[in-house]
Amino acid sequence: MVNTRPERPLVVRQLRKTYPGEAVPALRDVDLHVEAGEALGLLGPNGAGKTTAISIMSTLMRPNSGTVTICGIDIFKQTHQAKKHFGLVPQEIALYPSLTCRENLHFFGRLAGLKGQRLKVRTEECIDLVGLTASAGKRVVTFSGGMKRRANIAAGILHKPELLFLDEPTVGIDAQSRNMILEMLARLKQQGTGMIYTTHYMEEAQALCSRVAIIDQGEIIVQGPPLELTARYPGCTDLGGLFLLLTGKRLRD
Amino acid sequence: MTRLPATIFKELLLLSRDRAGLLVLFLMPAVLVIVVSLVQENILKVTGETTIRVLFVDQDRQLLGQVIETQLKQSGTIEIAKELSGRPVDEKTARIAVEDGDFQFAVIIPAGATEAVQKRVNRQIMSAFAPGDAAAGSNGDMPRVTVLFDPLVQGTFRASVTNALHIILLTLELEMKARAVSEIFPRQLGRILQKTMGPQGTAAVGKPLPAMNPEWGRQRLLGIASLQAARGGVGKRPSSVQQNVPAWALFGMFFIVVPMGGSLIREKQEGTLLRVMSLPVSHLTILAGKVCAYVLVCFIQFTLILAVGKLVLPLLGAPELEIGSAPLAIAVVVTSAALAATGYGILLGTIARTYEQASMFGAVSVVIAAAIGGIMVPVYAMPKLMQQISQFSPLAWGLNALVDVFARNGSAQSVLPQIALLLFFFAGTVLLSWFFFHHRGLTVK
Repeated sequence: MVNTRPERPLVVRQLRKTYPGEAVPALRDVDLHVEAGEALGLLGPNGAGKTTAISIMSTLMRPNSGTVTICGIDIFKQTHQAKKHFGLVPQEIALYPSLTCRENLHFFGRLAGLKGQRLKVRTEECIDLVGLTASAGKRVVTFSGGMKRRANIAAGILHKPELLFLDEPTVGIDAQSRNMILEMLARLKQQGTGMIYTTHYMEEAQALCSRVAIIDQGEIIVQGPPLELTARYPGCTDLGGLFLLLTGKRLRD
Repeated sequence: MTRLPATIFKELLLLSRDRAGLLVLFLMPAVLVIVVSLVQENILKVTGETTIRVLFVDQDRQLLGQVIETQLKQSGTIEIAKELSGRPVDEKTARIAVEDGDFQFAVIIPAGATEAVQKRVNRQIMSAFAPGDAAAGSNGDMPRVTVLFDPLVQGTFRASVTNALHIILLTLELEMKARAVSEIFPRQLGRILQKTMGPQGTAAVGKPLPAMNPEWGRQRLLGIASLQAARGGVGKRPSSVQQNVPAWALFGMFFIVVPMGGSLIREKQEGTLLRVMSLPVSHLTILAGKVCAYVLVCFIQFTLILAVGKLVLPLLGAPELEIGSAPLAIAVVVTSAALAATGYGILLGTIARTYEQASMFGAVSVVIAAAIGGIMVPVYAMPKLMQQISQFSPLAWGLNALVDVFARNGSAQSVLPQIALLLFFFAGTVLLSWFFFHHRGLTVK
């Protein structure tokens, strides 16, 4: 684990992906980067390519072309090394329901390379950070939706990654849990963690992200600070309006 | 190096909290081995070890009926019943008793059978001495001993009764023929001598011809030595326990494909596999962790089933399981079978897209593999085609190896081919899983 935070934990160049049997690419020449302590909002309608992009950037899928470097490491050449530097918070509650929150964190912590006292301390820190101290010994299956989402994030930040991929981490939870998660992520950001954050909630992106990239049909349409982008398009008062303007009102099922 | 133990521990923890999985893995094979062993033990007794009750209707009431009755009793496998509810049984009541399933067999000796057989014997012998004499060669109708049997009686069971009767009748025929030859031959010889040698022959016939002892027809010329062909000379006494304990233990071991495949599917569906794959841990470690955990479970299962065979079944009246004297060979076979089962579980979990698919296909395929592998019915009792198919069942390989060690004093060396097949199966299933996993990738949107 490196102690010094790199200036650009993520650099993506010309990423292209076409699924086997599909004629239309899921991603076309995507260029992205994330600075240390910066949250980049990756916004797009359903099927735009957000999850494909995250899957590639988190080494779960191979692109047809393009490069991704995490903390200066080419993730396709040094996959194992690169994995030490990022955390993934998938859209699903990627925890074992029949294990307790603590047991889940212990398991994922050990796979992330933590052990002994460091594992114990870090597990309790993360449990505390997501406000689950009183429930850490309970099985995840008994948790509310908000508690599950918070535990899901705790599992992604156990090994203090320099870069965090968050794929719709607040979907389907109450306002209190959402607020807590956003506050926690803001703290992580302040500590220097870079983030890629996908969401359908524009107000969340506006509040958390210093920059956003709007993606549609596999292409980044625009990217930049939210206020700068809304100012660029006359008639757009907020990110939601800009999003609809750029991606249209047609339903994407 | 903490990642592998972490994965093993996690798998065991998950399994310990899966009540349905635990029932499938431990309770089901234990109950199966007890129930099937006790049921089959009774069948074995019925077909070989205790007597079969047969209704005996003797309408002849002479030599033939008496001899057949005596010989059937002496066979030790057949118990004669001649009365029903205290009343002598006749052909009609015997037929009804068999039709109703109260008895599985009835043997009916027709009236006048002895006389008819005696006449046939005499005629046959006379015709043998006078080949051209048409009158001597006339044999008349052949008397028949009737065997009535319940249609539900299995073929082997039926064959054992009819074969016993055939042997008795054959012996009796030989004896009667010998007796007739002994009586007729000296007379015929005298007549021929008189005819061909004239007065000299007559003088010779004046002296008594040597008498023949009819007992020669009963005396055996060749015996049967029935010995077990077990290595080291002494095999184990065949019993349902010796077959069923290893068979159902293997069946239980292969049933781990259901919870194992299911756990893989759940990991894919819940996203935990996705998280694991994003962590700095090799795929091999994840795979090895799963395999080690489930091989350990298989060992616990196998030990439990052996304990049932050793300790529980004798309490229920079944014979005690004899394990043999090659524990190392057993350990190697069990490890190989466990690896084969886990390999199949991984393949199933990789190919199936839903938990329902994995559990349904897994359970059905294991039952089919068990059926063709000789778990339920021994392979030698199957039709030829099924015997050939059974050579492709991993359960057959495992069972052959275990039975070899348990009952035929086999060693690790003697079961090496089966071990190799099981390990190839493991390697093949893991490679196929690897291919499908990388071909399909993780199911992410």
